[in-house]
Amino acid sequence: MRFAPPNPLRIADRASGLNAPTVRSYNERLVLSLLLQSSGISRLEIGEKTGLSAQTVSVIVRSLEQEALVSKGEAQRGRVGPPTIPLSLNPEGAFSVGVSFGQDTANVALIDFAGRVRYHAAHLYSSLQESPAAIAAKIEDGLLTLPPASRTRVAGIGLAVPDDANTGGHIRKLLGRDLADAQANIERKLGLSVYIQNEITAAAGGESLFGVARSLSDFLFFYLGSRLHSRLILNYQIHSGRSDLSHDVGLLALQHGLKKHGLALSDIGSEIPAAAGELYRQWQQACCQQILASVRSLLGFVNFKSVVLSSYAPPALARDLCDRLHKELPDIAFLLGANTTAPKAVGAASLPYHSRFMVQ
Amino acid sequence: MRSVLCFGDSNTHGQIPGRGPLDRYDRHTRWPGVLQSELGPSWYVIEEGLSGRTTVHDDPIEGAHKNGRAYLRPCAQSHTVLDLVIIMLGTNDLKIRFNKPASEVAMGIGCLIYDLRELAPGPGGSVPEIMIVAPPPILDDVKEWKSIFAGAPEKSRQLALEFEIMADSLGVHFFNAASVCSCDAADGFHLNAEAHHALGAALAQEIEAIGWPTQERKS
Repeated sequence: MRFAPPNPLRIADRASGLNAPTVRSYNERLVLSLLLQSSGISRLEIGEKTGLSAQTVSVIVRSLEQEALVSKGEAQRGRVGPPTIPLSLNPEGAFSVGVSFGQDTANVALIDFAGRVRYHAAHLYSSLQESPAAIAAKIEDGLLTLPPASRTRVAGIGLAVPDDANTGGHIRKLLGRDLADAQANIERKLGLSVYIQNEITAAAGGESLFGVARSLSDFLFFYLGSRLHSRLILNYQIHSGRSDLSHDVGLLALQHGLKKHGLALSDIGSEIPAAAGELYRQWQQACCQQILASVRSLLGFVNFKSVVLSSYAPPALARDLCDRLHKELPDIAFLLGANTTAPKAVGAASLPYHSRFMVQ
Repeated sequence: MRSVLCFGDSNTHGQIPGRGPLDRYDRHTRWPGVLQSELGPSWYVIEEGLSGRTTVHDDPIEGAHKNGRAYLRPCAQSHTVLDLVIIMLGTNDLKIRFNKPASEVAMGIGCLIYDLRELAPGPGGSVPEIMIVAPPPILDDVKEWKSIFAGAPEKSRQLALEFEIMADSLGVHFFNAASVCSCDAADGFHLNAEAHHALGAALAQEIEAIGWPTQERKS
């Protein structure tokens, strides 16, 4: 068998493009995951980090280049040692759509392979016909913003769904009683794979994949939405504990308070409107206390250095909060989530990438 | 210093398109020469191009010594230690006298890889890095070579895919020369000076992309 014809399997895969749910080798996923974590690394560094031989890395990178998932940079010369050619994920290589279901609106976000938001729309439930078909139509609106050539490069759709206990009436009507039905419905309508995950876990995953936590293996994650939720990430694994647990110190509580003064969340900028000063400080304190209590109690069991706070709140508000927290616990880095536009929807959009391209 | 062996046919030898086998571009114009100046003094580029060289066939007309397989072993052994071996062959296998499909030319290349692995002329008796370069396709008009290369242009266009399949399955580096240059119209299957330059520069990039750990200086 030594000189038997080679098996053309890998090449045949390429011809089928992105749409076929290709079974990727572990090594290919490993290389893609590595490129996500550290954009601009060379083939030599990939070899060093994975233990793969130069020739194996070469075969994998070439195949990923041909699929336009990976692109080559300019050779870096003039440093110590031989010149290196940096590799990065090609932002145009794949796209993905995520949908999240908030208090009053459903968010649709389309992201590229580098995690950049290319399209975002918030749809009031009152403006949607309550059926999975309405969601599929809104997803399609997003897909149609892509140039025709890129539409074949959509990896799939992710849905970030709240836990049953928190699922309001309209979300239920929108998705139907049975999530599996909704999934099948959208898959049939759009011809793309649909992945579903708990919304907070999805937001944490998105931050881990594309955001501020991309190089962090261990951190505590807070999602400051209508309510305050948390997840613990250890060794890149997201742990949810009692996942329906949330605290009523979120933005909804603040919004209710502000409303009484005729103000909205967006009024909180670099300056706090005088009328809301006291109210804002009280809310901030309550929110900080809750976060600090969680961090402190957890530090008794696990040693982590970073806390990520993800929110769609005005940046000034979230930054303020991080500063306050850091003053209380100077040993911990409090990082603001990078996905500020619809963090849950972006997290949902990262689900197809996880399943199709990454090492689990 | 690292060394690279450039094992090929007339297009590595630097034969000038439309001229005889004795007409050869100078060292700096031939692609191994370009490669040398691109890679700089930390690399030693060894030229091993022979007009009419095949992958694994004794040529009944041009002679048994055109068989690349017979010469690769002594050649690689003479030039040890080798960090990298570049093989750019295949065009001559497409002569009608050998009657071989493109896929079998790729298998010929596969044999050379097996032989190199067995010989292991790399540092410390290891297998060197190996790179297969698919030659650019033969043009449809090959002038007076028409009868010798009957059917070859069509088959030559399949070489890159067949070579890449072979490279993938054996896990070696691959480069498609057609991505940076093409054959000259003077005879339809030789590279002109411009093509040599483009190929040498591109291969230097490919070699750098492999990634080479900094070498410790030997006393």
